Amino acid sequence: MLILQVVRQQPLHGYAIAQRIRQLSSDALSVEEGSLYPALQKALAQGWLKAEWTTSESGREVRSYRLTARGLKQLDAERDEYQRRADGIAAILAPVKPS
Amino acid sequence: MTTWLRRVWHLLNRRRHERELAREMAAHRAMMGDPDRFGDPYRLIERSRDAWGWQWLDDATQDFRLGWRGIRRSPGFAVTAMVILTAGIGLNLTFFQLASVTVLRPRPVASPDTLVWLYRQGPRERSSGAPYAAARFVREHNTVLSAVLMQTGAQVAWNDSDWVIDAQFVSANWFKELGYDAFLGRVFSEAADGRDAGGDPPAVVSYDFWKTVLGGDPSAVGRTVRIDRRPVVIVGIARPDFPEIELDDTAVWLPLDRHAFFYPTAGFPHVVMLGRLRDGTTLAAARESLRATMDALSRERPGLIAAGTWLEPISGRDNFLPPDLRVQIWIMISLMATLMMVVLIVASANLGNLVLSRATGRARELGVRVALGARRSRIVRQLLVETLPLGLLGTLGAVLFAWAAAAMIRSAAQLPPYLDLSPDWRTLLASMALATVAMAVVAAIPSWKVARQDLGAAIKDGGHQVSMRLDASLVRRLLVAAQVTGCCVMLIVAGLVARRAQRTLDTRLGFEFDRVAAVWAPLDRFGIAGAAARDYWDGMKTRLADRSDVEAMALVTAPPLGFMVNRTGYQDAPGLKVLWQRVDPSYFAVMRIPILRGRTFAAADGAEASVVISRRVALAMYGTLDVVGRGFPLTAPSQVIVGVAGDAHTILVNATDVGELYRPLRLDDHTAATLLVRSRSDPAGLLPWLRAAGGADPRAIAMTRLLRDDFARRTAPARLVSVIVGATGVLTLALASLGVFGVVSCAAVLRTREIGIHRALGAPAAAVLRLITARLLWPFGLGMATGLIAAAAAGALMAGEPFYLQPIDPGVYAAALALVGAAGAAAATLPAARVLRADPLRALRHE
Repeated sequence: MLILQVVRQQPLHGYAIAQRIRQLSSDALSVEEGSLYPALQKALAQGWLKAEWTTSESGREVRSYRLTARGLKQLDAERDEYQRRADGIAAILAPVKPS
Repeated sequence: MTTWLRRVWHLLNRRRHERELAREMAAHRAMMGDPDRFGDPYRLIERSRDAWGWQWLDDATQDFRLGWRGIRRSPGFAVTAMVILTAGIGLNLTFFQLASVTVLRPRPVASPDTLVWLYRQGPRERSSGAPYAAARFVREHNTVLSAVLMQTGAQVAWNDSDWVIDAQFVSANWFKELGYDAFLGRVFSEAADGRDAGGDPPAVVSYDFWKTVLGGDPSAVGRTVRIDRRPVVIVGIARPDFPEIELDDTAVWLPLDRHAFFYPTAGFPHVVMLGRLRDGTTLAAARESLRATMDALSRERPGLIAAGTWLEPISGRDNFLPPDLRVQIWIMISLMATLMMVVLIVASANLGNLVLSRATGRARELGVRVALGARRSRIVRQLLVETLPLGLLGTLGAVLFAWAAAAMIRSAAQLPPYLDLSPDWRTLLASMALATVAMAVVAAIPSWKVARQDLGAAIKDGGHQVSMRLDASLVRRLLVAAQVTGCCVMLIVAGLVARRAQRTLDTRLGFEFDRVAAVWAPLDRFGIAGAAARDYWDGMKTRLADRSDVEAMALVTAPPLGFMVNRTGYQDAPGLKVLWQRVDPSYFAVMRIPILRGRTFAAADGAEASVVISRRVALAMYGTLDVVGRGFPLTAPSQVIVGVAGDAHTILVNATDVGELYRPLRLDDHTAATLLVRSRSDPAGLLPWLRAAGGADPRAIAMTRLLRDDFARRTAPARLVSVIVGATGVLTLALASLGVFGVVSCAAVLRTREIGIHRALGAPAAAVLRLITARLLWPFGLGMATGLIAAAAAGALMAGEPFYLQPIDPGVYAAALALVGAAGAAAATLPAARVLRADPLRALRHE
């Protein structure tokens, strides 16, 4: 979900995706390369992302991942699901009013 | 693009994709401050691979390669396994082919669904034919058939010689309706060859006849030849694959409408009637409509067919077989198929044991895999896939086997060319199904068994404990028992069949045919009947009587070893089929059938007043042979018994439930009689004289043959069947022996050390031998017991037509069991003895 979300605004390559996630979460979350690439491959296999070779700002050849329409739908679905869970958890954790 | 397509696309371009992934990861590393934190790119690529879901394929390919390498490393095992699979599957395949071509698959005619055979059916009987006049009436007065096809067979003389060929008189639409044109020239057409056509009749000859007799000469078309002394013009050659409805081997087809041209005084014969259903007509609708037609016919011509007769349409899709016959054939086929499956099961059990033996030796290797984290399912999968190359080789071998067997059967049985026995896609499909069954036994059982062991422990002792446990496992013993069972069944059935063939081939038939020649003239076809027919035969006898080598002559209505059967039964002799025929008084002398009581016929005996019965009939009906002078049959007698003859099953040679009844010839019988001539020397020397004697009367054509040739022809199928079944039995025995040999060898090698200790401590050889072979005793006993029961059941099922086996034959049972026992003992003792001969000290050091 996080990967899909960060490439939603603009196509990014693998390193940038990891960086952006760390940056956006203020270093609270970091994506290990060990899970990043299998996850990217899974998203490719499912058709959520599309990859193409581009040149980065630093002049390096990199593979950028772009969100597809299908990926967007998946992202929305996952976000709804997350929201539902988070709400549920929040309801349970809400401070109990003394009766 | 769906996910699935994307995955296939990835698989096809995997190399490129993985190269790109590696490049991408290299770039990623280069951008990182601390590249070492990235991890192992190869592992990442491997894990990325999982994302596409092709891991199982990679594993399978790997295991397959491993299996293939294993086969290449041990060619001895590979060849053995392939031979076993080839024989097991190939035999089944050959049988499947035969059954499929001869009965299961419809004849290759145009639209077999709408082509029906019209069986004439009455309240009591069914006949495959109908009078020609009735067929014509149906053709002209029905509303459900777009065409009526007719055919009637005849044996005719070729080109004024006395060489007899098979001819079929067919309706002019025969070829067209079956969907075949000519190979050369033309086939019959209603326009050119109908009823009103003049001139010499046309003939179509078969491709085979054209090739062999006419030398394959294209100018044969248009040639005038003579058939039954009439000129005919060959207008065409039939196609080599032209099918025959009744599985005949016809040499020449003639137009049925010109039947009278050949036999002007004979009248029309009975014909087989086929119909082409109009579009959308169901069988039931056709039956009802034709019933009305037949009712109209029986009102119009009461003498022609009995009232209440109807025509039963049987579709070409059912191979023109009525339901009861179909059931019989299915029973027969299932029975044979079961026997063939027994062979396959023996073969598979055998191979399964071999595979298990090999896996036993690999316990350590598998243990290492388990220690490295392979799951049990992965091990089973590995062992399964590893045997796949074997299965593929076996399937290939089996198809080759079936192909070779088809060629052999074709030439041995001289099958007509339209029965195409060569393997096709059905065969391939069947062979794959069979291979799957076989591999399930061969691979699944051992894999499952091996994977269940504590393979982790195998690393510690080199797999010895696991191997020993596998070797002692119940499955292994049951596999041996299955082999012994199959072996017993096959050998006993083979023995029973061989015994039956022996009965057929036995020269003590109760009659002697070796020096007898037969002269046959279809006088009825040439319009010679009654007194004229008697004079014809009297003339023949007179001409032959002068020859010194003619010992005796007799006329008979149903010649020995022929196909004419007159069967009846009497309530006084229940269960006995009585075959009756009319004979000259000298018949018994000609056939060397002893007269046990009384005498043969005399001139004074009235044709309807006296009978001679066979010993069997006398005993069954009266309980004694002293019946001369008594009435026949026992209750409500109408004739007097003048003599009792020895048993001589001249017609149904190998039947067990028949007796004979002889009656004097009547005047009317002469028109369809056969003259038997006994020679003092080799009867072949008589043939030219018989031909000359036949040729002396221009009114009819006489044909000659030797009874010993008829006998050879009659018994050829029995001989062929017993050879095939016998060979199958021997094959099964060899397979089972091989299996026992393998199991004992394996056990002996595994326990070499133990044996060495026993020997070093002074144990006698016999005790050690017992130690090794003891484990096989109960599987052997169990296998023999179940085999015996199964064989008895199979034998009982095959007691009736057409096998006529005698299910209870202690000799055969004992011989088969002794053979299995001896072979098993030999197969077990050989490897054990080898270990025993070895030096005990060497055996001790063995690891």
